[in-house]
Amino acid sequence: MRRIVCTFVVNGVTRELLVETNALLSEVLQDDLGLKGVHVGCGTGDCGACTVLVDGLPVLSCSTLAVTVRGKEITTVEGMANGTKLHPLQESFIEHGALQCGYCTPGMLLASKRLLEINPSPSRQDIKDALAGHLCRCTGYNKIVDAVMAAAEGEE
Amino acid sequence: MFFRALRHFEFFEPKTVAEANELLLSYGHQASVMAGGLSLIQTMKTGEKKPEAVISLQKIDSLKFIDSDNDQDLKIGALATIRSIEKSREVQKHWAVLVQTARCIGSVEVRRMGTVVGNLCDGTPASDLATILIAMGAKMRVTSSGAEREVPLENFCVGPHQTVLEEGEMVREVRVPSLGDHSFASYVNLARTKPDITKVSVGVLVKNQNGACGDVRIAVGAVAPVIVRVRKAEELLRGEKLKASTIEEAARLAQEDVVVRPITDIRSNAGYRKEMVRVLVERALTDVVDKMNGAHAH
Repeated sequence: MRRIVCTFVVNGVTRELLVETNALLSEVLQDDLGLKGVHVGCGTGDCGACTVLVDGLPVLSCSTLAVTVRGKEITTVEGMANGTKLHPLQESFIEHGALQCGYCTPGMLLASKRLLEINPSPSRQDIKDALAGHLCRCTGYNKIVDAVMAAAEGEE
Repeated sequence: MFFRALRHFEFFEPKTVAEANELLLSYGHQASVMAGGLSLIQTMKTGEKKPEAVISLQKIDSLKFIDSDNDQDLKIGALATIRSIEKSREVQKHWAVLVQTARCIGSVEVRRMGTVVGNLCDGTPASDLATILIAMGAKMRVTSSGAEREVPLENFCVGPHQTVLEEGEMVREVRVPSLGDHSFASYVNLARTKPDITKVSVGVLVKNQNGACGDVRIAVGAVAPVIVRVRKAEELLRGEKLKASTIEEAARLAQEDVVVRPITDIRSNAGYRKEMVRVLVERALTDVVDKMNGAHAH
């Protein structure tokens, strides 16, 4: 098989696409669906920028064949805001200056979203463990941890 | 049409191991097996692998297991993720060293996507899991159409990213002997940052024989084309009490062992790596002694 008809629920919307088996999830999201918030950094699974949620779990979209996640729910950074209302984590990132160039931000946000779902009041170390492997080359790590801490406190 | 990083290939999702074996047989060397996909997709991106067919194991439910009865071997199916080992209560309780080792690997995402068997089949000499599992005497269960064989993990790799797997073969599971009450294992590694690839690693298994060292296995990773055992150091320790001076001498023998021939690369130079073999062997053995004393105290 070289092409498969796939159904994905992307950011809450069901999408049916004819997908080549060699297409990466990041490629389908960026090219076929125009979701430019999916950022590919290293392309080798080292930097975490391309992270998306598959059935709620952070997964590296640059290292996933799109056809292997057919039938699943996929959330990209575009799916975090509710209309024009930003997600509390996004608000907190802005508030704390937790982004400079913004390239790592979608991955940071989505991995943090998952963390707060399973651990609503994380310690700084919990946040660092969850975000290990998400590289910020502007090296703004402290502010990112601050932002996630504040978002968690705000939700309590 | 959009640009795609990977070349075209036929894609198969067999539902049973037998089906996968048949596909493997018909495609031979043209086929690549995919479990989590992390290393396969990387090697396809670089062009190191150009399979005509990718055979995904992801739909074979019978490979998604961790069978952990303390009295018996720990059996890890080909689809068990590194994360699932880390999260398994039984593994945490009886094979804690594997949990500690799993946490040395990449990010949460990598551990969630990557499988234990996939990590071993990738065949990198820097594999954290392979280093400790070789020390623990793990064995690979290899299947092909109509046949099954067992290969000690120690003999599984013949070079970097080269394994003994023949055309049509795949690994169904890895088996790890039970530690029981008398064996103690330790894993220590050095890496630039926690999620980075290991620069040097040491896995140790010691069987406590009336307060002295019974059987002992010391595996060293990332210092040769394959993970190696430092047998001179092992021989020195056998039958001895693990005193600080004995440990020091064993560590020195490990560093000087001819099998330890590290390379210089972007992460470290060969001299440093060699030096660190001594330091890490010493740390791992000291940790084992602490664990033995801890167990004795209970």
